[in-house]
Amino acid sequence: MASSSSSSLTVANRDGSSSASEDEAVMSVTRAYAQDALLQFQSGKFDQCLTALSECLKRKPNDPKIFHNIGLAEFYRDGCSHPKRLLDVLNDVKKRSEELARASAEQVESGSNIGGSRGSSTMGHPFSAVYMDEFDTYVATLNIAVIWFHLHEYAKALSVVEPLFQNRGPIDEKTALNICLLLLDVGLACHDATKSADVLVYLEKAFGVSCMNQGDSGSTALQQPANPVAKSPSLPTNSSAADGPNLDSDANALEAEETGEYDGAVFDMDVAQPTALLSSNDLSRNPVDISVSSVYLKLKMQLYKVRFLLLTRNLKQAKREVKHAMNIARGRDSSMALLLKSQLEYARGNYRKAIKLLMASSNRTDARISSMINNNLGCIYYQLGKYHTASVFFSNALLNCSSLRKDRPLNLLTFSQDNSLLIIYNSGMQYLACGKPLLAARCFQKAGLVFYNRPLLWLRFAECCLMALEKGLLETTLASSEVRVYVIGNGKWRQLVMEDGVSKNGNSGSFERGDLFLGSDQQPKLSMSLARQCLSNALYLLNCSESSYCKNSLPSNFFLEDNELGEVASSKNSNNKNFHSIDSEASAFSVGLGQSGINGDAKEQKAGTTQELVQNSLLYYADIRNKENLLLKQALLANLAFVELELENPIKALSIARSLLELPECSRIYIFLGHVYAAEALCLLNRAKDAADHLMTYLSGGNNVDLPFSEEDSEQLQGVRAVDYEELNGGSMSAKSSSPEDTLGIVFLKPEEALASLYVNFAALYAMQGELDQARQFVARALSLVPNSPEATLTAVYVDLKLGKSQEALAKLKQCSRVTFLPSGLTLNKAS
Amino acid sequence: MKKRATLGFEESKAVFGLLRAEQRPLEEIVSDFNSFFSHGRQFIPCFSISILLQDKKMLSSTQRLIAFAILQQAYSSQKPSANPFISLLINAACDVEAEKYERALILQLLQLFGSDGSSGGKELLKQSAADYIKSFDPSVHAFPQHEQLQQQYADKVHPERYNSPLKDSSVRNVIADPDVPRGFDVNSSEFDLQPGANPKLSSGDRDETVLGLLSNLALEGLGPHWKRPIPPRLPVQDDELVWLNPVDNHELLWDDGMCVDTSRGAAVRDLIAKALKGPLAPAQQEQVLLELANDPKLVYHCGLTPRKLPELVENNPLIAVEVLTKLINSPEIAEYFTVLVNMDMSLHSMEVVNRLTTAVELPSEFIHMYITNCISSCENIKDKYMQNRLVRLVCVFLQSLIRNNIINVKDLFIEVQAFCIEFSRIREAAALFRLLKSLE
Repeated sequence: MASSSSSSLTVANRDGSSSASEDEAVMSVTRAYAQDALLQFQSGKFDQCLTALSECLKRKPNDPKIFHNIGLAEFYRDGCSHPKRLLDVLNDVKKRSEELARASAEQVESGSNIGGSRGSSTMGHPFSAVYMDEFDTYVATLNIAVIWFHLHEYAKALSVVEPLFQNRGPIDEKTALNICLLLLDVGLACHDATKSADVLVYLEKAFGVSCMNQGDSGSTALQQPANPVAKSPSLPTNSSAADGPNLDSDANALEAEETGEYDGAVFDMDVAQPTALLSSNDLSRNPVDISVSSVYLKLKMQLYKVRFLLLTRNLKQAKREVKHAMNIARGRDSSMALLLKSQLEYARGNYRKAIKLLMASSNRTDARISSMINNNLGCIYYQLGKYHTASVFFSNALLNCSSLRKDRPLNLLTFSQDNSLLIIYNSGMQYLACGKPLLAARCFQKAGLVFYNRPLLWLRFAECCLMALEKGLLETTLASSEVRVYVIGNGKWRQLVMEDGVSKNGNSGSFERGDLFLGSDQQPKLSMSLARQCLSNALYLLNCSESSYCKNSLPSNFFLEDNELGEVASSKNSNNKNFHSIDSEASAFSVGLGQSGINGDAKEQKAGTTQELVQNSLLYYADIRNKENLLLKQALLANLAFVELELENPIKALSIARSLLELPECSRIYIFLGHVYAAEALCLLNRAKDAADHLMTYLSGGNNVDLPFSEEDSEQLQGVRAVDYEELNGGSMSAKSSSPEDTLGIVFLKPEEALASLYVNFAALYAMQGELDQARQFVARALSLVPNSPEATLTAVYVDLKLGKSQEALAKLKQCSRVTFLPSGLTLNKAS
Repeated sequence: MKKRATLGFEESKAVFGLLRAEQRPLEEIVSDFNSFFSHGRQFIPCFSISILLQDKKMLSSTQRLIAFAILQQAYSSQKPSANPFISLLINAACDVEAEKYERALILQLLQLFGSDGSSGGKELLKQSAADYIKSFDPSVHAFPQHEQLQQQYADKVHPERYNSPLKDSSVRNVIADPDVPRGFDVNSSEFDLQPGANPKLSSGDRDETVLGLLSNLALEGLGPHWKRPIPPRLPVQDDELVWLNPVDNHELLWDDGMCVDTSRGAAVRDLIAKALKGPLAPAQQEQVLLELANDPKLVYHCGLTPRKLPELVENNPLIAVEVLTKLINSPEIAEYFTVLVNMDMSLHSMEVVNRLTTAVELPSEFIHMYITNCISSCENIKDKYMQNRLVRLVCVFLQSLIRNNIINVKDLFIEVQAFCIEFSRIREAAALFRLLKSLE
């Protein structure tokens, strides 16, 4: 056993190699090197640090933790430029540690008889018991999640850090707190309300109410020279960057400024008076104190709480809590609180106030901050319907970002502060609103690197395709809004040839195989097939997220149990979750829990415990998400049915239109579309009778057709938001009046135009079945509503021609303003 | 696949050239046509020709003859019913208003179907269109009825080429729109372009129109139009625009566990190891409890695995309670509970469970399972003395649970009642029974 140097188990190596005292000597030297490495690391001398680490490695070869720290030091030494490479190192470390832990566990199990005695005889060689500390992977795992976070890969970060949180038991306080804070940020970034809620409640319990006890006991736990490492690597970069006041309320930054005035007192955080809190200097230099001054932790928690409430759109509570946060932050750095307040006003539709607050909090000289402020201003102007102003702000924000990328030296924050991909999504929305589908698609394509698992992104992509179709920008299609008539010959022989343009727009299915998204120039290539692909993606993602909720629907008493057991149950539960990491998780609650009083709760509730607050917000949010997902599904199905018709797949179009019609609480606008698409699909399938059934739903007797939907339906479609304001804010009608201008309204048929389309379709249906008189009547009504509609005109012309009234047909053709007469482009060369 | 189904300019000119070749033998014209439009592509020119034929004034008489010949010959290799234009040919043959020579030619053409290569057919096609009209003798020809022709040539009419009614019922998408001054007769030859003369107002060149039509006639014709509204864009959703807030500076953590002194808690580990073997001395026990209390994480490192729990319970129940209480939040606690439920009943295990119930809230399934186990242990024990002892213990244990409201009696009523009746000879069981009754 002693000679088994090939064994990867350092445990085994040292165990039998030599006498205890010799061993002890080697160990203490190793420990000294390790300490030195840490010190060098903290002071930013990474080369020296690496030297010390290599000394450690000589004495403890194959120790994964040494490899871990080497990876870290090399990463910083190389200017943080290769986060992906560090990821590889960390994953490798993790894998190796797990293998070693398994091997060690097996060894212990097999040799458990002698284990006890040996353990007692050799102090400091605790190899007898199941003692996996040496191979734990918490730090490596957390670091993996941290890197994903900074790379904006929130879904991945979530799937890595969440299990850590669930198994936080054995993890030391400092690492555990870091885990919690990261999980909060990641959960919020993923719009994952439930996960954020878990952490909030836990943090309040662990570090809030029982702060005293936990702090005390924690202090003895951490006797290692565990100077809060988190701050160390940031020191060199922070100081050199000279980037002005740190806005992100980061405790480290503050520590650097104010360390002097604080002593090591551990402070009870649940003190009610913030003034008292402020007067007591509590930031601890004692490394035991989890590197956070309790006021700052409190402020931080408060800000997280506000962000959670904003996410769950519990605006009333958010207002209350943000005030509280302002109080805590008074006299300190309140810019983060101001930003959140601005976000709150934005969410409430008080755009002017939001702008004011943004301006107040801004520190325009810092590129990081100004990119955020610019972006947020862009959002506000977008909501105000001022798309061009918005576009100026978005592009300024992007400029800020690109200047940020040139900053040296790099650090990890540089990656996470480069929000360009997020801003580009906003830009895409703005282009879409301005009717520029090609530019918008380019934006969504880039933003897809971050948002690929959001159904909305794919819907927007598809909308770009549809808009391109509408504007006649697709290569294979013609603009459908016009009738083209070729004038052939002249004089007595003059003939008019009507191009059947409207029905021809459906032929965009043809393009060469290969990359669906990119043309040869690597730009997205819009087509109906691409639209279909995007919509299928979106539906898939949406269904995935829905079904994963059903599987994991939590027990209804999940949050009601105040005891520890609830936590066990919850951790079990979330262990089972497969991390789809698609936003909108909160709907988990929707099925099991009665809907009654959900809305009321959020409104009525007084400031209770965090737990109640969080629970009510979750319920409220679940309800909102449900509604939003339902709307999204309607939109997706309607778009898909349309696209399938365009691609001449009536069978698919029919089944999709039918599932659209089966959706519960479907908007009347989408019901209208469902009927019209289903009817057309049935026509194409030669089932005129069934097609008629769909249209008949709107026939009110005789030949009268009802308006398929009303103005209110259109308003409702665009305004889940506006309604919620009123519910939440009670009296604040100002919010409503300043909210979206009519430019924001959806671009769709007016109810009368929709009615006219029904008339046209009735006419087409009758004409098809040879009932020309009926057809003539319907088309006349359609023309009286929309005299310039190409479809109505062409159908009218058709009916007249069928009836042999070519003169009337000619007259109609010439009346319609959307007919373009084109020369045939041919003259006869007498040479033929 | 569907580009606009029309003829290109060159193709149009070629077709038009063929139609005008009134002096060439029909045979030559047809073979030129076939070489120009390979098999399978002839439908579109044929279709355009058929459209031109529908307006009787559009083509001259020789042109019409050539057109009919092309329509028939283009599909001559197939059965007559497979010719898409068979109805048009039959109708034209029966059109009493048409010129006799035209109808006669069509009839002769129809007879060519099936009689491929016969000398009569060959001769017909050797003539030019102009010759045919010149040498036409109406007396030779008999004109059969429409039904008869229909039966003869089109009994199994080819199924509809399109299955969409929107397209099936399409009409010719050409409308004559003569540009002549009001009140003038459109049909007057006055408006025809006279060769060599200056073009007059409203005069037009028929040839030019024919050529233009050829190259512009789309296959589809004009059908009734269906209005297919484009779905509305989904309004921007509440969370959709990304609002940016500064994020925390999550830094990478140095792994402090590297090469550290692993002696942390070694004393406790040793003591726990001893505690598995036998009861600890009061001072030692005190030390374990103190160290565990001082370091909440130590419990994870004290070397106790679920498998070892029974030994600890038997030897040092108090320490077991302390350890389990501390582990209550760990994911492995369920494993420990499972072991605890399945170990042999004893005073110590019962004491541990009893103490746990007061210290933390246990899952009710666990308690129920434990009670069930207790009862069955009592029933299975052989030694009468030991049985009495155990039954009394269980009774006291149950009473304590009930009094402290740890369990809901209703959940276990039948089981516990049966147990009391079985052991009613024991005083404690009777007392428990009375307690149950009083709660009813």
